[in-house]
Amino acid sequence: MKSFFKKYWVQLLLFVVILILAGLAYAQGGWSDVGGGFLSGVSILFRESLLLAAAFLTAGLLQALVKKEVITRWLGREAGIKGILLACLGGGLIPGGPYAYYPIAGALLSSGAGLGVLVAFVSAKNLWSVSRLPYEFAILGPTITVRRYLITFLIPPLLGMLVEWLFGSQLAAIQKGVQK
Amino acid sequence: MAIWIPVSGNPERGPEMNSATVILWCIAGVLLFFSWRASTETLKRGLELAWKTTRANLLLIVLAFVIVGFVNVLSPQELVTAWIGPNSGWRGIATSEFLGMLLPGGPYVVFPIIDILNQAGAGLAAVITLITSWSTQSLLTVSFELPFMGWRFTAIRWGLGLVIPILVGTTALLIWG
Repeated sequence: MKSFFKKYWVQLLLFVVILILAGLAYAQGGWSDVGGGFLSGVSILFRESLLLAAAFLTAGLLQALVKKEVITRWLGREAGIKGILLACLGGGLIPGGPYAYYPIAGALLSSGAGLGVLVAFVSAKNLWSVSRLPYEFAILGPTITVRRYLITFLIPPLLGMLVEWLFGSQLAAIQKGVQK
Repeated sequence: MAIWIPVSGNPERGPEMNSATVILWCIAGVLLFFSWRASTETLKRGLELAWKTTRANLLLIVLAFVIVGFVNVLSPQELVTAWIGPNSGWRGIATSEFLGMLLPGGPYVVFPIIDILNQAGAGLAAVITLITSWSTQSLLTVSFELPFMGWRFTAIRWGLGLVIPILVGTTALLIWG
């Protein structure tokens, strides 16, 4: 039972949100609004199905084309500003969710990558992500997507450099903390 | 962009073929070609990954779109405009950052929800702040970060990161209003 909650808690959370929204819809217009909300959601999903299919296909093919091992090997070697820039590139290209890239970041940490490199890697994954681009473009449209990418473009390298400068000396303590 | 249709719209219409759909299918086509050129193994793996992601997230996607449908019917335009509308300024950006941290799930769950907020009257700065905050400050992601990177790393990255959505939102506000 406990593992069920642990495994499906996002689904359960969304389900609770739906129940609350359904309650609000009922208060607003009775059962017809509850049915209307449900049907509206399903019909929007149906209309967007071609778009979503293309997004999933694109993301899947990108994952197959970009090899994780190559990126990891690449980032273990370089340090300094060059390392930070490479980390940004690697983070932007690496596919998969947090369950995929944090193990890689953890491996890089234990293999001696600098703090700035690690923060740049994670931030670029979060802000430059190429594999997320199809979804953002498909669902939010080109205007928002382009503006969002432009405005956040400099953050991963700058944050990496800032962190290296401010907290670079903490690396050993961070490594030790994880080994425990 | 194209996700939100008012309930009064025609729900009988089939899957939509708009410009975003066409562009994405073209990109998918190019990637299919490159995967096939790389090796049949790569192509097979790509298709498998696409199918696996779809299957694993199907329930989440349906749930997310049902939420979108209910928000659509409840049409909270006034509420959304007041909190994160184009004239909500600082408060809108701060609210968006907080909301962004709480949004659960991957892009296929979060983007439809952000889109419906956009359609319900959220300002551009608020939308960009929401995306940025969900990307860098998501509490769900932190739960993956802690075991692999330790609390010190998370405290530094997440702590410094708190400024980022606000900075990004303010810049968007200054440039695009």
